[in-house]
Amino acid sequence: MAEKFDNLEEHLEKFVENIRQLGIIVSDFQPSSQTGLNQKLNFMITGLQDIEKCRQQLHDINVPLEVFEYIDQGRNPQLYTKECLERALAKNEQVKGKIDTLTKFKSLLISELGKVFPEEMAKYKAIHGDDPPS
Amino acid sequence: MTEIFSSLYGQPDSQGPSGPSALGFGSGKPQVPQNMGPMCFPHQMVDEGGPIRKPSAMNEPFYLLRELPMENELTGHTNLITHYNLEHAYNKFCGKKVKEKLSNFLPELPGMIDSPGIQDNSSLRSLIEKPPVCNNSFSPLTGVMLTGFRLHTGPLPEQYRLMHIQPPKKKNKHKHKHHRPQDPLPPETPSDSDHKKKKKKKDDDPDRKKKKKDKKKKKNRHSPDHPGMTGAQPSGNSLR
Repeated sequence: MAEKFDNLEEHLEKFVENIRQLGIIVSDFQPSSQTGLNQKLNFMITGLQDIEKCRQQLHDINVPLEVFEYIDQGRNPQLYTKECLERALAKNEQVKGKIDTLTKFKSLLISELGKVFPEEMAKYKAIHGDDPPS
Repeated sequence: MTEIFSSLYGQPDSQGPSGPSALGFGSGKPQVPQNMGPMCFPHQMVDEGGPIRKPSAMNEPFYLLRELPMENELTGHTNLITHYNLEHAYNKFCGKKVKEKLSNFLPELPGMIDSPGIQDNSSLRSLIEKPPVCNNSFSPLTGVMLTGFRLHTGPLPEQYRLMHIQPPKKKNKHKHKHHRPQDPLPPETPSDSDHKKKKKKKDDDPDRKKKKKDKKKKKNRHSPDHPGMTGAQPSGNSLR
């Protein structure tokens, strides 16, 4: 899988470098630069063809749209990954806290109900089995 | 207290509305008559969400006692980052400080990439929402088509000169120090002309001098990072 990305990355880097050189030629154009310009233009098209070929290998790759918002704002897309991980961890901790609290509440409720309604709680435990102490 | 509780929920033999009404609670919950067939459920008894117990089970000691749901092995009680082996990723992204700008992620990309894409209509969002209309294939330019790319000699007009200017990069300094062989060097003529142009532009605009001085001061303040060395890593992970 990494090879697919490496291949695309290589083509993109070559394409970007070609465009950069094209911009340099155009910025101060001379008549002798015409052949070089034509060559760069055709390199640009072959570069697009190469990138188009890479698309088939990556058709199963999904990119979340939120990443594009980061890029459009000029922000590092790794910040999106960082924030996803932080949000996931925070939610994980929140849910774990809820589970722990409800588990404690359940055991406390069962123990208190067992004191008040011992026979009924014995029947309940016979149906659902003994709950492990929290 | 237990006698009231038992009378409320009823023993298997005790039926009818005598329980709640005897206690003065009013109508209370509806009681299930014993003569009902196995498939006849009172409307109030049907619960659409959970599993429905059989009528014979209504005679069990607890009214509307449901079976416990199947326990999932994976719940929020587990550390999901450890479960999915994301510790390395977490330490990489959350343990260290991730730089804010896009140019820190793509240091080798030319142009002013830190500015918002909306300003110069180069946003990815606009590309997704309004994709350009084009043919399905790329065909090379013929000689006739290339005649359309004959340009006038001389430098660009001033209004277009700023478009190709790149922000000063740290890698240029590191190139001289570490002699990185990775960056492809442009042809000599364009690179020389580019350096000459940059020098000329430095002389022409005093404002740019001040900005570059400020940037140099900022660089001297911060610890010397090596974005050239880390350039390979983020670019390797950029598409993942």
